[in-house]
Amino acid sequence: MTNPKDSIKIVPQGDVAFVEFDLVGEKVNKLSTPVVLRLEEVLTELKSSAYKAVVLISNKPKIFIAGADIEEIKSMSSREQFEKAVAAGQNIFNKIEDLSIPVIAAVHGACAGGGCEMILACDYRMATDDNVTRIGLPETQLGIIPGFGGCIRMPRVVGLQAGLENILNGKLLPAKKAQKQGLVDRVVHPAILREEALKWARELIAQGGGKRQKKFKPVGLMNKFVESLGKGLAISQAKKATLAKTSGHYPALMKAINVIGKTYKMSNREQALKIERENFCDAAVTEVSKNLIHVFYLTEMVKKQTGVSSGVKGRDVARMGILGAGTMGGGIAYQAADKGIEVRMKDLNSDALGKGLKHASDLWLKLLKRRSLDKYQYKQKMDRVTTSTDFSGFKTLDLVVEAIVEDMAIKQKVIAETAQNCKDNCIIVTNTSSLSVTEMAKGHPRPEFFAGMHFFNPVDKMPLVEVIRGEKSSDETVATVFELSKKMGKMPVVVKDGPGFLVNRLLLPYMAEAAFLLEEGMAIEVVDRAYVKDFGMPMGPFALMDEVGLDVCYKVLKIFKKAFGDRMEISKILDGLEKSGRLGRKNSKGFYLYNSGKRGEVDSSVYEALGLQAPTNPYDTKECVERGVFSMVNECSRALIEDQVVETAAEVDLAMIMGTGFPPFRGGLLRFADSLGSKYIVEQLTKYSETRKAIRLKPAPQILQMAQAQSQFYKN
Amino acid sequence: MKSPRDVVIIEGVRTPFAKSGTVLKKVHPADLGKIALKELIAKTNLDVNSIDEVIVGNTGNPVDSVNIARVIALNAGVPQKTSAYTVHRNCASAMESISNGFEKIKSGTMDVVVAGGTENMSQMPTLLPAKIQNIFDKLLVARGPKQALPLLWSLLKADLKQISALLSGNMRDDYFPVISVMQGLTDPFVGINMGQTAEILAKEWGLSRREQDEFALRSHVLASKAAKDGKFKAEMTPIFLAPDYKEVISEDVGPRDNQTIEALTKLKPFFDKQTGTITAGNSCPITDGAAMVLLMSREKAEALGYKPTAKILSYGFAGCDPERMGLGPVYATPVALKRASLTLKEIGLVELNEAFAAQVLACQKAFNSDQFAKEKLGLKEKVGELSIDILNVNGGGIALGHPVGATGTRLVITLMKEMQRRNLQYGLATLCIGGGQGGAMILEREV
Repeated sequence: MTNPKDSIKIVPQGDVAFVEFDLVGEKVNKLSTPVVLRLEEVLTELKSSAYKAVVLISNKPKIFIAGADIEEIKSMSSREQFEKAVAAGQNIFNKIEDLSIPVIAAVHGACAGGGCEMILACDYRMATDDNVTRIGLPETQLGIIPGFGGCIRMPRVVGLQAGLENILNGKLLPAKKAQKQGLVDRVVHPAILREEALKWARELIAQGGGKRQKKFKPVGLMNKFVESLGKGLAISQAKKATLAKTSGHYPALMKAINVIGKTYKMSNREQALKIERENFCDAAVTEVSKNLIHVFYLTEMVKKQTGVSSGVKGRDVARMGILGAGTMGGGIAYQAADKGIEVRMKDLNSDALGKGLKHASDLWLKLLKRRSLDKYQYKQKMDRVTTSTDFSGFKTLDLVVEAIVEDMAIKQKVIAETAQNCKDNCIIVTNTSSLSVTEMAKGHPRPEFFAGMHFFNPVDKMPLVEVIRGEKSSDETVATVFELSKKMGKMPVVVKDGPGFLVNRLLLPYMAEAAFLLEEGMAIEVVDRAYVKDFGMPMGPFALMDEVGLDVCYKVLKIFKKAFGDRMEISKILDGLEKSGRLGRKNSKGFYLYNSGKRGEVDSSVYEALGLQAPTNPYDTKECVERGVFSMVNECSRALIEDQVVETAAEVDLAMIMGTGFPPFRGGLLRFADSLGSKYIVEQLTKYSETRKAIRLKPAPQILQMAQAQSQFYKN
Repeated sequence: MKSPRDVVIIEGVRTPFAKSGTVLKKVHPADLGKIALKELIAKTNLDVNSIDEVIVGNTGNPVDSVNIARVIALNAGVPQKTSAYTVHRNCASAMESISNGFEKIKSGTMDVVVAGGTENMSQMPTLLPAKIQNIFDKLLVARGPKQALPLLWSLLKADLKQISALLSGNMRDDYFPVISVMQGLTDPFVGINMGQTAEILAKEWGLSRREQDEFALRSHVLASKAAKDGKFKAEMTPIFLAPDYKEVISEDVGPRDNQTIEALTKLKPFFDKQTGTITAGNSCPITDGAAMVLLMSREKAEALGYKPTAKILSYGFAGCDPERMGLGPVYATPVALKRASLTLKEIGLVELNEAFAAQVLACQKAFNSDQFAKEKLGLKEKVGELSIDILNVNGGGIALGHPVGATGTRLVITLMKEMQRRNLQYGLATLCIGGGQGGAMILEREV
């Protein structure tokens, strides 16, 4: 910040002081050390002034205060550093609270983290009903807790129940919801925020200009109960639910509950803040927090990228065609139309098209039911999707996504046909998960307009899109697909063409390894449980295989074996799976039992069906997890270093987190690998490879070299 | 002769037409219109930014979308900057919309206009009787229980009267709810029902029940054949029914390929039980559907590389006796012919909306009558002979139905497509209009 004095200014409006935030040289207002120091000056000035009320307001168009400076948090490591920074923040907000005149926060735009903690220290809060206004405490998503008094003040303002929810979920609330909770008192149109704040300040002065008692007044039976007798219960419930959900992998959540439990209704502010401070430091020094901040930066990295290094800009996609109205086609239609893109869906017959329409409609109807959409928004979105059994309307499309059957010959033929029926510069992309994009491009008369755009299933939930650059894809094509992915609310990663691209190339050895564990006597639920509970994956490899489809897994594994040879061994039990007609979730018959679409217990008959003895669980869970995860690391060393499927370790980690749910608190596959060190991974792989007689587990030359050089995946 | 300001029709799309109360009853008229318009845009690969205006005919005027044209335009993805308005000329509303577009393009004001019409007669509301509405009006401004309770009590009493009126079936009872579709089919000037206007024509022009039933049968036979030949598929877009999108409506619900004269003969006269000849079988059914056409100036069409289907030569509207509104086409046609400098003889194909078989047959006779021409039209001689061979060759309203606000455009679409198939130069689309008017439009095939 070049000029602290101009960044926070006192602008007098009669006897009301407007404290205006507008950080010079920054896009957003954030709370860094120089800002806090300047704020302290401002407060000192106010304290000795004749003003009778204060309004805190931002001059940035879409930001109130976005929060603490994450760069600063990232640069700190010792407990002392955190302690000092947090104490400074607490101190400054105490000063706001302690001003003898009323303070009104007038919020327009993002008001997150420290920004939210600041308005909690004010007497009154006003917010605009604009879409950009979002208020909340997202700290736990970065593995820390609100440390500038947020854990203390939030429950005092909105009550224990809502306070716990706000802090544990870390969600940012729109003004209307915040008002409902009592987090803001008044909601106004953005055009009159300043006037209304001034009017309010004058009202307060006219009424005597007193301070406000900040105390939650329970409304409704449930709240009254929680506030009186149910406090202990609410806290213990929150602990239980959090533990069950996170298996203890996110310590900040427990710390936050601890602070709230200990300090709620505590009359000694200093003591309460001390408890918050200590717990903040406990959380901030953890590896988990460092990892989550790392993940935050990975997502920020994508926002800045364009997908190409040449500076060529992508074209805007306003109208999109989708070939194939199946699960993927319907999901892509939903995702595109949801973000304002006109969609033309084509399939062979109206039965298929109807299913695609229903797929999209049902997803919106779910939101409608939850009231995150109103019926008008639902209609607008649904109306964007039209269907056809021929190519009518394709001449106006900017881009067409192919999501038909995984068959190279058919795809090439359809792509040629599509190119003929679209305008010359229309981009065609394939959603293939296993076929070569470069090979497929041969179907396109102008292959520079062809690329891969690999969505993950279910499209509406999985944030990753692999943008696959074929040999002939032009920069403009790649940049367009990259931009489109972002427009659709996804995280794109550009990958080179090759078997499995990036994510599936790493995931397949991991699933294959699970099959070997089963063959060697491990029980399905023991392996899956180890991955979920111990390691933190959203589901274990067997559940995942069921989701993907066992036939698909087997088919892709065979493609891999052909491409990679011996290092891609396939357990013989997969053969048996196919023979026993198990396809996974899609036919409700896999490693697990399915009851009306829901995954239940492990199907105990699966062992016999595969010709296996009852499981004896010969290995510990550590081996189970290491063999799978290190298989991925091993393959990744080849993919990244030898084949350069992506350029950086950061892209691998982003892709694995967004595409497979690799536990964010571990910071990503390669950050996790780096934390263990390549030497350790090589030792373990060598050991498993020898003791389990598994060529596939032999360390790749690339990781061996890393171990020798003691180098890391992340450079710097 | 081609001129840059010629008004041409590029393409037309309609939804299936379905008898009211059947498959399309839950599809809002704005959605019917949107579906037709979106498909028209897709089929023509039209850049929506090029549309100057959207004009839509509609008579039912749904309370949640009173300017339904604007709702349709926005739902169809037409940009916000593009203006849209709704027109109402009863049965000719969707011809009125085309004539509006024609004038704007002809004059050089605009280059690209979407015109059409939509109607869902299933969804026309049933209104509270005035007596009950009065109580509601007072209730809405009542303060406190002291004022509200007596009103609620009178509401309860009025409701009981309403139930009794419903049980008696006396639609003229003050407490009988107003069924808007019935009200709409009653002439507000002379107070008789449209069916009764057809009865007058049948009697005055000496049209037998048999003649009428045979004409009705012809409509079903021709419409069924046209459907089988895929002629309607060429002008139609299917409708997926929400929320399951499993059922797809891709055919008209109306034409019956198994219709027999015996079955038609068995029906009882509906409007005049004793001496009448008009039955449900020889009248058009009330219907749900929408239709849209894309109009352009010739120069714009050429600039954008479109090959038009037809050129609009002229249109004409004319008034007549509301009690004999069915003769409207005979009044309007000479107006349009004169403007196009053509005679009926030169017209190779005619779409004359079949509101009632009697009404079409009466028109046919009146077209051919010197006396009628002299007395009613102020012409020296008859308009001309209207041969059955060129009249509604793919059936008409009796089989396909008559969604009031959409029919005008449907006639134009069906006409221009058939003119292309038969290589005919001139065609006429005309209809009678409730309230005593006729509308006519003359097209020339584009080659």
